[in-house]
Amino acid sequence: MRTPVVTFILAALIGLGLLFGAGVENGPNPFITLGVMNGFVYGLVALGLVLVYKGTRVFNFAQGEFGTLGAYFLFFFLTKGLPYWLGIVLAVAGTLVIGLGLERVVIRPLIEAPRINVLVATIAIALALIGIEILIARIEPRSLDSILPALDAAGDPAGITIFGLTIEPQRLIALGVFGGLGGLLAWFFSRTDLGLAVLATSQDSFATKVVGIGVPRMSRFIWGLSAALGAIAGILYVPLTGTLTPAVMTVNILIPAFTAAVIGGMTSLPGAFIGGTIIGVVQSVGGWAGGHFTLGEQTWNLIIPGVEQAMIFVVLLLVLLARPQGLLGKEA
Amino acid sequence: MTATDIAPPVDESTVVLPAVKEPTRWRPNTRGWAIRIAVIAALVIVLGVRLATLGGLWADHISQAVIFAIIGLSLNVILGYTGQVSLGHHAFVGLAAFVAAHHITERAGCLPEEGCQYAPMGGFAVAVGLAILSGIIASGLLGIVALRIKGLYLALITLTYGFFAVNSIFEIPSLTRGGAGMPAPRPKLLITDHRFMVFCLAALAVCLFIDWRFLASRIGRAVLAVKNSEAVAASYAVNVTAYKLMAFMLSGAFAGLAGALFAYRRQIVVSNDFRFESALLWVLMVVVGGLGKRTGVVIGSMFFALFPYLIDLVTPLSDFLANLDRDPEEFTLVIGPALALITMIISPGGIAEQIRPITNWLAGNRFTMHPDGGSHHKPSLLAKLRNRSAPAAEESS
Repeated sequence: MRTPVVTFILAALIGLGLLFGAGVENGPNPFITLGVMNGFVYGLVALGLVLVYKGTRVFNFAQGEFGTLGAYFLFFFLTKGLPYWLGIVLAVAGTLVIGLGLERVVIRPLIEAPRINVLVATIAIALALIGIEILIARIEPRSLDSILPALDAAGDPAGITIFGLTIEPQRLIALGVFGGLGGLLAWFFSRTDLGLAVLATSQDSFATKVVGIGVPRMSRFIWGLSAALGAIAGILYVPLTGTLTPAVMTVNILIPAFTAAVIGGMTSLPGAFIGGTIIGVVQSVGGWAGGHFTLGEQTWNLIIPGVEQAMIFVVLLLVLLARPQGLLGKEA
Repeated sequence: MTATDIAPPVDESTVVLPAVKEPTRWRPNTRGWAIRIAVIAALVIVLGVRLATLGGLWADHISQAVIFAIIGLSLNVILGYTGQVSLGHHAFVGLAAFVAAHHITERAGCLPEEGCQYAPMGGFAVAVGLAILSGIIASGLLGIVALRIKGLYLALITLTYGFFAVNSIFEIPSLTRGGAGMPAPRPKLLITDHRFMVFCLAALAVCLFIDWRFLASRIGRAVLAVKNSEAVAASYAVNVTAYKLMAFMLSGAFAGLAGALFAYRRQIVVSNDFRFESALLWVLMVVVGGLGKRTGVVIGSMFFALFPYLIDLVTPLSDFLANLDRDPEEFTLVIGPALALITMIISPGGIAEQIRPITNWLAGNRFTMHPDGGSHHKPSLLAKLRNRSAPAAEESS
């Protein structure tokens, strides 16, 4: 099995980085930690992308906007004075309903169309959702509270401190949810009949019909699930940045998440996790190195604008040119 | 071309009757031609008079629509002719706009803060040339990537490239002057909006001509063959690499020209003008216009550009929006994608398919709703029977 090997190598590399970074002044260690933590959020969105790709063989560009939509629903229900947990449930349910509706109206009629058409259709969905958000909620930023407050009773930052970086409770919750959902999905695809049926549909929809599996039912299931996953990711991520604006998840998360999924091989659930971690660390350490770089006596100050986005572009290009099937993918 | 298109050899001994000579293409008679030419002339005169007497504000709107049309043609080359998706076109157009503005202000030395009002004509020409060149280079690089990476993954690469360009290249202060924007003064000849509109229309005409010759020539046929199947095209000795790169570079040249016009229309380039939403909207406007159909693409792109101003013309609608405190421009982000989805689900041919009976008639064919477009004469039953011995020949006519 490749998964444990790749996981071990990645963990060893990050460990080595932390070990060498420990002696460096203004060193990379908080950045590495931050990168790993960001990686979990990328992985969470990447899970939704992998799910849709496994089920229907298309890239879902609307996955990020499902997250923004979930966050807006949560914001709306919180302003109505509902308790947080009920807000989350209603927000996920609301996004789920919209995902199912979009599947029925847009995706189902295109089920026989070329994959590139479905890709353009998901782009149209994402843009339309952004447009509706702008029309209803306006461009003004809003703030969304965390599940647990980021400050404890004494007014100090809550959470645990690792390598000079305080990790908020929200990130720890995101990590837990991510691990739980990833495990659940892996179990679902490998151990349940429904999961196998979904995989079969994506591989050969005609043969699946012949053995009596309803293709529309599978499509509905996949898009509903991915909308719910997207909403959960949005609800967990937006309080971390604190500001909720239209298209926030598409702008900040969708591209790193896609890159994470591609690194992992697009069909691999552990791959989404590993790709997310790699992208998070590369981006964060790249930002540190692009800002200033100390080695021994010398310090280089390189201010490269947008180094995080540049890192993603370089990583994605290299992975696709050198190993298009990704680290853990079974097919290109 | 597939192998089955080649007519099987006709066995001479089985041909009982001599083959009927079929009229290969229906043509209108003199009266028919006269009516068509009269209609086209009337259209040209009405449009020409209307455009010539246009106020400055609407001339500016039309310039924007024409720039959108050129961007649409650029995307159409990639989407319609090579079958790939570019989601990073805002980066190509933006880079060209900045190159054009940078040349005028920094190289040709026309700085508005030093009292320079009009760009020198020579500098303007070089700036437009450099912008086109930058588009060709950027798009050619994408073409090289596209030799290896295709389909969904190429779309992802272009999207990532767009984000990288906007956040990195467009933030380089010496090229873009940060958030303040790079001025791009026009030359004296084009200083009014009306003259600039005429210049844009001329640029669009040149693009349409190049696009037409590109597709109608050997190159276009080779590019379409590569789109259908690279393996089959290669086996017909089509140089897949060269033709793919050629298509991407043509698209880059159009994008570069559009970028230069973009810069001079507003006379200032701000990096905030180029957001990923616009690149995605541009893809959708090509889909609405009709993939691979230049008339439809131009109409679709112009509609997307003019949509907010058209809403303003409809007083009840604009009053309604003003009451809601909503800007018509915000509706483009909802109406555009909705139109694209409707197009893809109900009528994948787009606007081009809807207006095809009219464009076909104007081009000298019969007015028909038939999907074949009436360009080919339907063989009579008798001719079919007589030519039965060579059935493949009639189908490939």
